Amino acid sequence: METSGNQAFARWHGRRDFLTRAAGAVLAAGALAAPRKSGAAELVNIGALYPVTGSFAQIGQGCVNAARLAVQMVNDAGGIKALGGAKLNLIISDVQSDTTVTRTETDRLISGYKLSAIHGCFASALTLIASEVAERAKVPLLTGSSTDQLNKDRHYTFTPFARASQFAQAQLRMARLVSDNPKVAVVFENTAFGTATSKGLREQAPGEGVEIVLFEPYSAGLTDASPLINKVKASGANMLFPVSYLNDLILIIRAIKQADLQVAINGGSGGFVIPDFYKNVGNLADGLLGVAHWNHDIDANAQKVNAVYKQQYGQFLFEYAGGLVAQTFMIADALEQAASTDPQKVRDAIASLDVSEGYAAMCPGGRVKFGPDGKNIYAHPVGVQWQHGDLATVFPKEDARAALMKA
Amino acid sequence: MLATVAQAVVNGLLIGGIYALVSIGVTLIFGVVKVVNFAQGEFVMIGMYISYFLATRFGIDPLASLVVTMPTLFVVGVLLQQFLIRRVLALGDMPQIFLTFALSLLLLNVMLLLFTADYRTVQTPYTETAIHLGAVYVPVAKLIAFVVAMLLSLALWLFLRGTDLGKAMRAAAQNRDVAMLMGINPDRVFCVAVGVALALAGAAGSLLMPFYPAYPMVGQVFVLMAFVAVVLGTLGNVTGALIASLMMGVAESLGIQFVGADSGLIVVFLMLLLTLAFRPSGLFGGWTR
Repeated sequence: METSGNQAFARWHGRRDFLTRAAGAVLAAGALAAPRKSGAAELVNIGALYPVTGSFAQIGQGCVNAARLAVQMVNDAGGIKALGGAKLNLIISDVQSDTTVTRTETDRLISGYKLSAIHGCFASALTLIASEVAERAKVPLLTGSSTDQLNKDRHYTFTPFARASQFAQAQLRMARLVSDNPKVAVVFENTAFGTATSKGLREQAPGEGVEIVLFEPYSAGLTDASPLINKVKASGANMLFPVSYLNDLILIIRAIKQADLQVAINGGSGGFVIPDFYKNVGNLADGLLGVAHWNHDIDANAQKVNAVYKQQYGQFLFEYAGGLVAQTFMIADALEQAASTDPQKVRDAIASLDVSEGYAAMCPGGRVKFGPDGKNIYAHPVGVQWQHGDLATVFPKEDARAALMKA
Repeated sequence: MLATVAQAVVNGLLIGGIYALVSIGVTLIFGVVKVVNFAQGEFVMIGMYISYFLATRFGIDPLASLVVTMPTLFVVGVLLQQFLIRRVLALGDMPQIFLTFALSLLLLNVMLLLFTADYRTVQTPYTETAIHLGAVYVPVAKLIAFVVAMLLSLALWLFLRGTDLGKAMRAAAQNRDVAMLMGINPDRVFCVAVGVALALAGAAGSLLMPFYPAYPMVGQVFVLMAFVAVVLGTLGNVTGALIASLMMGVAESLGIQFVGADSGLIVVFLMLLLTLAFRPSGLFGGWTR
């Protein structure tokens, strides 16, 4: 009786925690099993924190796939030479799209394994938590998350790619691709996401010489986008920035086609530049512009990795996943320099990194060198366009890999 | 300016036609069976998914799939009345509300489980085409939806007026006990009423599919407007729900145009509050006689 009572108690209180741990342990064990058999050389533990369940699951799974691919690439090329050919050992943890789980999982991974470095977590809200834990434990963390908060008062957090503040600027500058006299209509859903993003655009517009002719919040979950598009039409805009989630975006794009309105569309970053977007929107997406911190056509190495990924997973290597392949190689380069698995030495090696070739440098800007705030001083976002189901880099001029397609 | 107003009115009327199909279903069930069907939006959603799969698997145009969605949902409606609603009719308001509300949640979550939250769209040759009349344009898919919605409403009106079953339905709506004394079988009448209401929801689904994405939560978007239309047009009044739906579509569209794109609903709800203040029984008090 007593035992079953205890079990029930334990189950009641610890079920979520237990599941978290079990899932993490299973994943970790899976990752550990293979390299251990092969045996002799030392293993370098790299933590990978991504949400593979919950609301960010689809993207998180793609990140895990890319993380595995990157580690395999490093190991197939002979591992870390400075450590006698030591193999990278990926410890994957599911942070479940949840901030509390992210905190406990980051803690668990750092205390349970001797991690040399971590990368993660895709969603900025989760990365901020993981970064706090990593800072306290003094383990270096690399991330593609774009929030500028990650560059404040941190010493173990490194961001190789463009920051959120740079995205709005790139989006505004891209308006010049369409017209020398850009008149932009910003329509945004009246949520935290929509309000914050549109505010950034409005603040930077005058400095970029872009005129905002309509700045219109709308209630998310439109039944009909035609009235909204009627307003855009009346405003005389030649460029539209919708800050919207997918269902509203589909209605907006269709309403523009029906109205036969000649206006270019730039949807910004995030959900706009992942393969799922095209899957959902179909060829309506062709011609739409967006902003990304990474794209698979930026250099020959990126194209090579993309080809392998595409063959294995059936879709192109998206922004975040491609970026973390480069991050894995940055960690490998740092390990070579440090010739040690000690996280403090790896952190110092990352801080003094200056790479301009190889997979670690397959970033917009083509070079990685971190400033004191952990920001890659050469990073900038690229402008992308959907062209026949693929994302092509079209901006800035030095990064453009395809001509602008007329929608 | 004139063109902008005209365009706003056209946009409003077109979407109002869709609101009408949903709200007529709600008001019909309420009028006849005296049950508020909170799951009406979910049946629109099911209609959309049926149309979607017929279109993507078998290449059937969503409009042609009306001949599948309407009978299918009619049968679902008859079964719903026979096996679920009938059991709670004698129990008062609360069990009835819980029944249809639970059904709404159940259907929504089952569809999430089966089909995930992905947006599914169907591309038809007329999805993005529009007829341009001077400065005003009329999207073809919405125009078709509007015309079919009006024809279905007319057919329902004729059915309620002109057929024995329709008259029996109105009689049962007015006074169930007296209707029974006159030899009307209420079970049969109720089954038909719920069946017809769900068939209209199915029709709304098929008509929406060419221009609106299907996803499990889609019913919620339309059912809110439908409930407002039902109250505005007087509970149980089919013609009232139709006219109120069209008015709301236009009010919403004009609100977006001239007040603000996040204020379309403010105009609609203001209209509702004013109506309730000055005509508490709705704009069209009483069953159409």
